[in-house]
Amino acid sequence: MTLRLGRHSFADDATLVMAIVNRTPDSFYDRGATWAEDKAFERVATVVAQGAEVVDIGGIKAAPGEEVGEAEERSRVVDLVARVREAFPGLAISVDTWRASVGDAVCAAGADVLNDAWGGADPELVDVAAAHDVAVVCTHTGGVTPRTRPYRIEYDDVVRAAIDDTVAYAERAVAAGVARESVVIDPAHDFGKNTFHSLEVTRRLGEMVATGWPVLVSLSNKDFVGETLDLPVGQRLTGTLAATAVCALAGARIYRVHEVVETRQTVDMVWSIAGRRPPRRAIRGLQ
Amino acid sequence: MTGPARVALVPGVLALLPEHAGLDDPVAALRAACHAAVGWLGRDVTVLADPQGARVAAHLLGAVGREGDAPSYLVVANGSARRSEKAPGHLDGRAAGFDAALGAGLRAGSFEVDADLAAELWASVEGLVLAGRELGGCRLAGVDYDDDPFGVQYWVMRWTCES
Repeated sequence: MTLRLGRHSFADDATLVMAIVNRTPDSFYDRGATWAEDKAFERVATVVAQGAEVVDIGGIKAAPGEEVGEAEERSRVVDLVARVREAFPGLAISVDTWRASVGDAVCAAGADVLNDAWGGADPELVDVAAAHDVAVVCTHTGGVTPRTRPYRIEYDDVVRAAIDDTVAYAERAVAAGVARESVVIDPAHDFGKNTFHSLEVTRRLGEMVATGWPVLVSLSNKDFVGETLDLPVGQRLTGTLAATAVCALAGARIYRVHEVVETRQTVDMVWSIAGRRPPRRAIRGLQ
Repeated sequence: MTGPARVALVPGVLALLPEHAGLDDPVAALRAACHAAVGWLGRDVTVLADPQGARVAAHLLGAVGREGDAPSYLVVANGSARRSEKAPGHLDGRAAGFDAALGAGLRAGSFEVDADLAAELWASVEGLVLAGRELGGCRLAGVDYDDDPFGVQYWVMRWTCES
Protein backbone atom coordinates (compact mmCIF):
# COMPACT_ATOMS: atom_id res chain seq x y z
CA MET A 1 0.00 0.00 0.00
CA THR A 2 1.23 3.48 -0.77
CA LEU A 3 2.35 5.25 2.38
CA ARG A 4 1.12 8.81 2.78
CA LEU A 5 2.57 11.17 5.34
CA GLY A 6 0.42 14.28 5.15
CA ARG A 7 1.32 16.02 1.88
CA HIS A 8 3.85 13.39 0.84
CA SER A 9 3.25 9.98 -0.75
CA PHE A 10 5.81 7.20 -1.00
CA ALA A 11 5.93 4.07 -3.15
CA ASP A 12 5.23 0.63 -1.70
CA ASP A 13 8.85 -0.38 -1.63
CA ALA A 14 10.34 2.93 -0.48
CA THR A 15 12.29 3.13 2.76
CA LEU A 16 12.39 6.39 4.67
CA VAL A 17 15.02 7.85 6.95
CA MET A 18 13.47 9.96 9.69
CA ALA A 19 16.08 12.19 11.28
CA ILE A 20 15.71 13.09 14.93
CA VAL A 21 15.69 16.83 15.66
CA ASN A 22 15.55 17.68 19.34
CA ARG A 23 14.36 21.05 20.55
CA THR A 24 15.34 20.00 24.02
CA PRO A 25 18.11 20.98 26.41
CA ASP A 26 18.55 17.48 27.77
CA SER A 27 17.99 14.63 25.28
CA PHE A 28 20.29 11.70 25.89
CA TYR A 29 22.24 11.69 22.66
CA ASP A 30 22.84 15.30 21.71
CA ARG A 31 22.57 16.80 25.21
CA GLY A 32 21.11 20.08 24.07
CA ALA A 33 23.20 20.60 20.94
CA THR A 34 20.10 21.68 18.99
CA TRP A 35 18.23 23.27 21.89
CA ALA A 36 18.38 26.75 20.32
CA GLU A 37 15.87 27.10 17.50
CA ASP A 38 18.53 28.21 15.04
CA LYS A 39 20.62 25.16 15.91
CA ALA A 40 17.62 22.91 15.44
CA PHE A 41 16.93 24.51 12.07
CA GLU A 42 20.57 24.01 11.06
CA ARG A 43 20.24 20.35 12.03
CA VAL A 44 17.18 20.11 9.73
CA ALA A 45 19.12 21.64 6.84
CA THR A 46 21.99 19.21 7.46
CA VAL A 47 19.85 16.08 7.52
CA VAL A 48 17.94 17.20 4.44
CA ALA A 49 21.25 17.60 2.63
CA GLN A 50 22.18 14.11 3.83
CA GLY A 51 19.03 12.71 2.25
CA ALA A 52 16.56 12.34 5.10
CA GLU A 53 13.00 12.10 3.81
CA VAL A 54 11.44 12.91 7.18
CA VAL A 55 12.41 14.90 10.26
CA ASP A 56 11.01 14.10 13.68
CA ILE A 57 10.92 17.22 15.80
CA GLY A 58 10.55 16.76 19.53
CA GLY A 59 10.21 19.25 22.35
CA ILE A 60 10.38 16.88 25.32
CA LYS A 61 13.01 14.30 26.04
CA ALA A 62 11.67 10.78 26.47
CA ALA A 63 13.34 10.02 29.78
CA PRO A 64 12.12 11.43 33.10
CA GLY A 65 13.22 14.96 33.83
CA GLU A 66 12.06 18.49 34.26
CA GLU A 67 8.34 18.89 33.72
CA VAL A 68 7.56 20.45 30.35
CA GLY A 69 4.07 21.89 30.26
CA GLU A 70 1.86 22.13 27.23
CA ALA A 71 2.57 25.81 26.62
CA GLU A 72 6.30 25.27 26.89
CA GLU A 73 6.17 22.29 24.54
CA ARG A 74 4.27 24.36 21.97
CA SER A 75 6.72 27.21 22.22
CA ARG A 76 9.55 24.80 21.52
CA VAL A 77 8.14 23.14 18.42
CA VAL A 78 5.38 25.13 16.66
CA ASP A 79 7.48 27.97 15.27
CA LEU A 80 10.22 25.56 14.23
CA VAL A 81 7.72 23.43 12.33
CA ALA A 82 6.41 26.50 10.50
CA ARG A 83 9.93 27.58 9.60
CA VAL A 84 10.90 24.11 8.34
CA ARG A 85 7.65 23.82 6.41
CA GLU A 86 8.38 27.04 4.55
CA ALA A 87 12.04 26.28 3.89
CA PHE A 88 11.68 22.61 2.89
CA PRO A 89 8.35 22.03 1.11
CA GLY A 90 9.44 18.56 -0.07
CA LEU A 91 10.29 17.33 3.42
CA ALA A 92 7.87 15.32 5.54
CA ILE A 93 7.68 16.80 9.02
CA SER A 94 6.89 14.60 12.00
CA VAL A 95 6.43 15.87 15.52
CA ASP A 96 7.14 13.66 18.49
CA THR A 97 4.36 14.44 20.95
CA TRP A 98 1.71 12.63 22.92
CA ARG A 99 -0.44 15.73 23.53
CA ALA A 100 -3.43 16.31 21.24
CA SER A 101 -3.35 20.06 21.81
CA VAL A 102 0.28 20.27 20.74
CA GLY A 103 -0.50 18.00 17.79
CA ASP A 104 -3.25 20.35 16.69
CA ALA A 105 -0.93 23.35 16.80
CA VAL A 106 1.92 21.70 14.89
CA CYS A 107 -0.43 20.37 12.22
CA ALA A 108 -1.76 23.89 11.71
CA ALA A 109 1.89 24.96 11.30
CA GLY A 110 2.57 22.33 8.65
CA ALA A 111 3.36 18.98 10.29
CA ASP A 112 2.66 15.79 8.31
CA VAL A 113 3.00 13.15 11.01
CA LEU A 114 2.19 12.89 14.68
CA ASN A 115 4.67 10.46 16.20
CA ASP A 116 2.98 9.34 19.36
CA ALA A 117 5.92 7.72 21.09
CA TRP A 118 3.84 7.08 24.19
CA GLY A 119 1.31 4.76 22.64
CA GLY A 120 -1.93 6.69 22.84
CA ALA A 121 -1.60 8.28 26.27
CA ASP A 122 -3.86 11.09 25.03
CA PRO A 123 -6.82 9.42 23.29
CA GLU A 124 -7.70 12.58 21.35
CA LEU A 125 -4.45 12.59 19.39
CA VAL A 126 -5.98 10.41 16.67
CA ASP A 127 -8.87 12.85 16.29
CA VAL A 128 -6.38 15.64 15.67
CA ALA A 129 -4.55 13.52 13.09
CA ALA A 130 -7.85 12.78 11.35
CA ALA A 131 -8.94 16.41 11.37
CA HIS A 132 -5.70 17.53 9.72
CA ASP A 133 -5.40 14.47 7.45
CA VAL A 134 -1.91 13.71 8.72
CA ALA A 135 -0.26 10.41 9.54
CA VAL A 136 0.03 8.91 12.99
CA VAL A 137 2.68 6.57 14.41
CA CYS A 138 1.15 4.02 16.77
CA THR A 139 3.72 2.78 19.26
CA HIS A 140 3.80 0.02 21.83
CA THR A 141 4.82 1.01 25.34
CA GLY A 142 3.15 -1.66 27.43
CA GLY A 143 0.81 0.97 28.81
CA VAL A 144 3.37 2.95 30.76
CA THR A 145 2.90 6.59 31.65
CA PRO A 146 4.80 9.04 29.41
CA ARG A 147 8.35 9.82 30.47
CA THR A 148 8.72 6.88 32.80
CA ARG A 149 11.34 4.17 32.61
CA PRO A 150 10.37 0.50 32.46
CA TYR A 151 10.53 -1.22 35.83
CA ARG A 152 10.10 -4.97 36.14
CA ILE A 153 7.71 -5.11 33.20
CA GLU A 154 7.10 -8.63 31.95
CA TYR A 155 5.17 -10.00 29.00
CA ASP A 156 3.95 -13.48 28.16
CA ASP A 157 5.08 -12.67 24.62
CA VAL A 158 6.44 -9.19 24.01
CA VAL A 159 6.02 -9.38 20.23
CA ARG A 160 2.43 -10.55 20.55
CA ALA A 161 1.77 -7.67 22.93
CA ALA A 162 3.44 -5.19 20.59
CA ILE A 163 1.41 -6.41 17.63
CA ASP A 164 -1.88 -6.53 19.51
CA ASP A 165 -1.48 -3.06 20.99
CA THR A 166 -0.18 -1.29 17.90
CA VAL A 167 -2.70 -2.89 15.56
CA ALA A 168 -5.52 -2.03 17.95
CA TYR A 169 -4.22 1.53 18.09
CA ALA A 170 -3.98 1.60 14.28
CA GLU A 171 -7.55 0.43 13.92
CA ARG A 172 -8.65 3.03 16.47
CA ALA A 173 -6.89 5.69 14.39
CA VAL A 174 -8.66 4.54 11.22
CA ALA A 175 -11.99 4.46 13.06
CA ALA A 176 -11.33 8.04 14.16
CA GLY A 177 -10.90 9.05 10.53
CA VAL A 178 -7.16 8.82 9.90
CA ALA A 179 -6.53 7.60 6.35
CA ARG A 180 -5.55 3.92 6.31
CA GLU A 181 -2.48 4.69 4.18
CA SER A 182 -1.34 7.15 6.84
CA VAL A 183 -1.05 4.82 9.80
CA VAL A 184 2.34 3.45 10.88
CA ILE A 185 3.14 1.05 13.73
CA ASP A 186 6.27 1.07 15.91
CA PRO A 187 7.29 -1.60 18.43
CA ALA A 188 9.13 1.13 20.36
CA HIS A 189 12.41 -0.43 21.38
CA ASP A 190 13.32 0.34 25.02
CA PHE A 191 9.88 1.84 25.74
CA GLY A 192 8.26 -0.37 28.36
CA LYS A 193 10.91 -2.96 27.54
CA ASN A 194 14.08 -4.34 28.99
CA THR A 195 16.99 -5.20 26.72
CA PHE A 196 15.85 -8.81 26.27
CA HIS A 197 12.46 -7.54 25.10
CA SER A 198 14.00 -5.14 22.59
CA LEU A 199 16.31 -7.84 21.24
CA GLU A 200 13.36 -10.20 20.80
CA VAL A 201 11.31 -7.52 19.06
CA THR A 202 14.24 -6.97 16.71
CA ARG A 203 14.71 -10.69 16.08
CA ARG A 204 10.98 -11.17 15.35
CA LEU A 205 10.26 -7.87 13.61
CA GLY A 206 9.02 -9.78 10.56
CA GLU A 207 5.93 -10.71 12.55
CA MET A 208 5.06 -7.02 12.88
CA VAL A 209 5.73 -6.41 9.21
CA ALA A 210 3.40 -9.31 8.39
CA THR A 211 0.48 -7.35 9.86
CA GLY A 212 0.57 -5.27 6.68
CA TRP A 213 0.90 -1.97 8.53
CA PRO A 214 4.10 -0.11 7.64
CA VAL A 215 6.59 -0.49 10.48
CA LEU A 216 8.77 2.27 11.93
CA VAL A 217 11.77 1.35 14.05
CA SER A 218 13.53 3.68 16.46
CA LEU A 219 16.80 2.00 17.39
CA SER A 220 19.28 4.80 17.31
CA ASN A 221 21.91 4.62 20.06
CA LYS A 222 19.38 3.23 22.53
CA ASP A 223 20.10 1.48 25.80
CA PHE A 224 19.35 -1.99 24.44
CA VAL A 225 22.28 -1.48 22.07
CA GLY A 226 24.41 -0.05 24.84
CA GLU A 227 23.64 -2.88 27.28
CA THR A 228 24.12 -5.56 24.64
CA LEU A 229 27.59 -4.31 23.77
CA ASP A 230 28.41 -2.63 27.10
CA LEU A 231 29.01 0.68 25.39
CA PRO A 232 28.08 4.21 26.42
CA VAL A 233 26.14 6.71 24.33
CA GLY A 234 28.49 7.90 21.62
CA GLN A 235 29.87 4.42 20.91
CA ARG A 236 26.69 2.68 19.80
CA LEU A 237 26.60 3.39 16.07
CA THR A 238 27.88 -0.01 14.95
CA GLY A 239 25.39 -1.82 17.17
CA THR A 240 22.62 0.49 15.98
CA LEU A 241 23.43 -0.28 12.37
CA ALA A 242 23.51 -4.03 13.04
CA ALA A 243 20.01 -3.80 14.52
CA THR A 244 18.99 -1.58 11.60
CA ALA A 245 20.15 -4.23 9.15
CA VAL A 246 18.11 -6.92 10.87
CA CYS A 247 15.00 -4.73 10.83
CA ALA A 248 15.58 -3.81 7.20
CA LEU A 249 15.83 -7.46 6.21
CA ALA A 250 12.50 -8.00 7.97
CA GLY A 251 10.99 -5.16 5.96
CA ALA A 252 10.78 -2.11 8.24
CA ARG A 253 9.86 0.98 6.23
CA ILE A 254 10.85 3.98 8.39
CA TYR A 255 14.04 4.37 10.44
CA ARG A 256 14.12 7.06 13.13
CA VAL A 257 17.76 7.93 13.56
CA HIS A 258 20.49 10.29 14.63
CA GLU A 259 22.93 9.26 11.85
CA VAL A 260 21.30 9.71 8.45
CA VAL A 261 24.10 8.81 6.04
CA GLU A 262 25.13 5.58 7.77
CA THR A 263 21.52 4.49 8.15
CA ARG A 264 20.68 5.16 4.51
CA GLN A 265 23.66 3.10 3.35
CA THR A 266 22.76 0.24 5.70
CA VAL A 267 19.11 0.18 4.68
CA ASP A 268 19.87 0.45 0.96
CA MET A 269 22.42 -2.35 1.18
CA VAL A 270 20.05 -4.67 3.02
CA TRP A 271 17.08 -3.73 0.82
CA SER A 272 19.18 -4.71 -2.20
CA ILE A 273 20.30 -7.97 -0.57
CA ALA A 274 16.62 -8.69 0.03
CA GLY A 275 15.95 -8.13 -3.65
CA ARG A 276 13.71 -5.11 -3.10
CA ARG A 277 16.06 -2.49 -4.54
CA PRO A 278 18.39 -2.76 -7.56
CA PRO A 279 22.04 -1.87 -7.07
CA ARG A 280 22.82 1.75 -7.88
CA ARG A 281 25.06 0.83 -10.80
CA ALA A 282 26.11 -2.74 -11.64
CA ILE A 283 28.71 -3.56 -14.29
CA ARG A 284 31.09 -6.01 -12.60
CA GLY A 285 31.14 -9.22 -14.65
CA LEU A 286 28.47 -7.83 -16.97
CA GLN A 287 30.68 -5.86 -19.36
CA MET B 1 13.27 -8.95 -54.67
CA THR B 2 13.30 -7.11 -51.37
CA GLY B 3 16.58 -5.27 -51.89
CA PRO B 4 19.90 -5.60 -50.06
CA ALA B 5 20.08 -7.06 -46.60
CA ARG B 6 20.46 -4.82 -43.59
CA VAL B 7 22.99 -5.99 -41.04
CA ALA B 8 23.64 -4.57 -37.57
CA LEU B 9 26.37 -5.49 -35.08
CA VAL B 10 25.99 -5.08 -31.32
CA PRO B 11 28.18 -6.37 -28.44
CA GLY B 12 26.93 -9.15 -26.16
CA VAL B 13 26.98 -6.98 -23.06
CA LEU B 14 24.97 -8.65 -20.28
CA ALA B 15 24.43 -5.27 -18.60
CA LEU B 16 22.01 -4.55 -21.45
CA LEU B 17 19.62 -7.19 -20.09
CA PRO B 18 16.74 -5.98 -17.90
CA GLU B 19 17.49 -8.50 -15.14
CA HIS B 20 20.78 -6.68 -14.58
CA ALA B 21 19.35 -3.17 -14.45
CA GLY B 22 20.58 -0.92 -11.67
CA LEU B 23 19.10 2.37 -10.57
CA ASP B 24 21.62 4.06 -12.86
CA ASP B 25 22.44 2.62 -16.30
CA PRO B 26 26.20 2.04 -16.70
CA VAL B 27 25.78 1.47 -20.46
CA ALA B 28 23.29 4.19 -21.36
CA ALA B 29 25.21 5.45 -24.41
CA LEU B 30 25.84 1.93 -25.69
CA ARG B 31 22.20 1.03 -25.14
CA ALA B 32 21.05 4.06 -27.12
CA ALA B 33 23.39 3.15 -29.97
CA CYS B 34 22.13 -0.45 -29.98
CA HIS B 35 18.53 0.71 -30.07
CA ALA B 36 19.24 3.01 -32.99
CA ALA B 37 20.98 0.30 -35.01
CA VAL B 38 18.45 -2.42 -34.25
CA GLY B 39 15.59 -0.04 -35.03
CA TRP B 40 17.05 0.36 -38.52
CA LEU B 41 16.54 -3.36 -39.25
CA GLY B 42 13.41 -4.82 -40.86
CA ARG B 43 10.65 -6.70 -39.09
CA ASP B 44 12.09 -10.17 -39.61
CA VAL B 45 15.59 -10.54 -38.25
CA THR B 46 18.01 -13.46 -38.30
CA VAL B 47 20.27 -13.51 -35.25
CA LEU B 48 23.89 -14.54 -35.66
CA ALA B 49 25.31 -15.00 -32.16
CA ASP B 50 26.57 -17.34 -29.44
CA PRO B 51 24.01 -18.34 -26.72
CA GLN B 52 24.70 -15.33 -24.47
CA GLY B 53 24.65 -13.00 -27.45
CA ALA B 54 21.35 -14.50 -28.54
CA ARG B 55 19.81 -13.43 -25.22
CA VAL B 56 21.05 -9.88 -25.72
CA ALA B 57 19.74 -9.92 -29.30
CA ALA B 58 16.33 -11.20 -28.19
CA HIS B 59 16.07 -8.43 -25.62
CA LEU B 60 17.06 -5.68 -28.06
CA LEU B 61 14.70 -6.97 -30.76
CA GLY B 62 11.88 -7.00 -28.22
CA ALA B 63 12.71 -3.51 -27.00
CA VAL B 64 12.84 -1.71 -30.34
CA GLY B 65 10.06 -1.37 -32.92
CA ARG B 66 11.00 -2.07 -36.58
CA GLU B 67 9.35 -1.65 -39.97
CA GLY B 68 9.83 -2.86 -43.53
CA ASP B 69 10.60 -6.11 -45.31
CA ALA B 70 14.36 -5.76 -45.84
CA PRO B 71 16.12 -9.05 -45.08
CA SER B 72 17.83 -8.33 -41.80
CA TYR B 73 20.57 -9.78 -39.62
CA LEU B 74 21.58 -8.92 -36.09
CA VAL B 75 25.15 -9.95 -35.37
CA VAL B 76 26.28 -10.09 -31.75
CA ALA B 77 30.02 -9.91 -31.18
CA ASN B 78 32.68 -7.71 -29.62
CA GLY B 79 36.41 -7.17 -29.45
CA SER B 80 38.90 -8.02 -26.74
CA ALA B 81 38.14 -7.91 -23.02
CA ARG B 82 41.86 -7.64 -22.25
CA ARG B 83 42.51 -4.05 -23.24
CA SER B 84 43.61 -2.60 -19.88
CA GLU B 85 44.79 -3.43 -16.38
CA LYS B 86 41.20 -3.02 -15.14
CA ALA B 87 39.69 -5.05 -17.98
CA PRO B 88 37.94 -8.33 -17.11
CA GLY B 89 40.82 -10.32 -18.63
CA HIS B 90 43.54 -7.89 -17.48
CA LEU B 91 45.94 -6.35 -19.99
CA ASP B 92 47.20 -8.28 -22.98
CA GLY B 93 49.53 -6.24 -25.15
CA ARG B 94 48.12 -7.84 -28.30
CA ALA B 95 44.56 -6.69 -27.66
CA ALA B 96 44.87 -3.18 -29.09
CA GLY B 97 46.36 -4.38 -32.35
CA PHE B 98 43.84 -7.19 -32.68
CA ASP B 99 40.90 -4.81 -32.17
CA ALA B 100 42.36 -2.19 -34.50
CA ALA B 101 42.71 -4.73 -37.29
CA LEU B 102 39.30 -6.24 -36.66
CA GLY B 103 37.69 -2.79 -36.52
CA ALA B 104 39.31 -1.78 -39.78
CA GLY B 105 38.08 -4.97 -41.44
CA LEU B 106 34.54 -4.36 -40.19
CA ARG B 107 34.58 -0.83 -41.58
CA ALA B 108 35.67 -2.29 -44.90
CA GLY B 109 32.77 -4.75 -44.88
CA SER B 110 34.74 -7.85 -43.89
CA PHE B 111 33.79 -10.15 -41.01
CA GLU B 112 37.02 -12.12 -41.23
CA VAL B 113 38.55 -12.82 -37.82
CA ASP B 114 41.28 -14.98 -36.29
CA ALA B 115 39.10 -17.07 -33.99
CA ASP B 116 42.02 -18.64 -32.11
CA LEU B 117 43.62 -15.32 -31.24
CA ALA B 118 40.17 -13.97 -30.42
CA ALA B 119 39.75 -16.73 -27.82
CA GLU B 120 43.09 -15.86 -26.22
CA LEU B 121 42.10 -12.21 -26.05
CA TRP B 122 38.61 -12.85 -24.66
CA ALA B 123 36.97 -11.46 -27.80
CA SER B 124 33.49 -12.89 -28.45
CA VAL B 125 33.46 -13.35 -32.21
CA GLU B 126 31.22 -16.32 -32.94
CA GLY B 127 28.62 -13.96 -34.40
CA LEU B 128 31.24 -12.60 -36.81
CA VAL B 129 32.26 -16.12 -37.90
CA LEU B 130 28.62 -16.89 -38.66
CA ALA B 131 28.20 -13.59 -40.48
CA GLY B 132 31.27 -14.34 -42.59
CA ARG B 133 29.61 -17.54 -43.78
CA GLU B 134 26.16 -16.02 -44.38
CA LEU B 135 26.85 -12.59 -45.80
CA GLY B 136 28.81 -11.09 -48.67
CA GLY B 137 29.16 -7.86 -50.58
CA CYS B 138 28.78 -5.75 -47.44
CA ARG B 139 29.27 -1.99 -47.31
CA LEU B 140 29.44 0.05 -44.16
CA ALA B 141 26.26 2.06 -43.59
CA GLY B 142 27.16 3.62 -40.26
CA VAL B 143 29.10 3.42 -36.99
CA ASP B 144 26.88 4.06 -33.96
CA TYR B 145 29.44 3.24 -31.27
CA ASP B 146 33.16 2.48 -31.08
CA ASP B 147 34.63 2.55 -27.57
CA ASP B 148 35.98 0.42 -24.72
CA PRO B 149 34.53 1.94 -21.53
CA PHE B 150 35.34 -1.09 -19.37
CA GLY B 151 38.42 -2.38 -21.12
CA VAL B 152 36.24 -4.32 -23.57
CA GLN B 153 36.00 -3.20 -27.19
CA TYR B 154 32.43 -2.57 -28.31
CA TRP B 155 31.22 -1.72 -31.79
CA VAL B 156 27.75 -0.90 -32.95
CA MET B 157 27.80 -0.82 -36.75
CA ARG B 158 25.47 -1.14 -39.73
CA TRP B 159 26.03 -2.56 -43.21
CA THR B 160 24.06 -3.24 -46.33
CA CYS B 161 24.96 -6.57 -47.93
CA GLU B 162 24.24 -8.06 -51.33
CA SER B 163 23.71 -11.60 -50.07
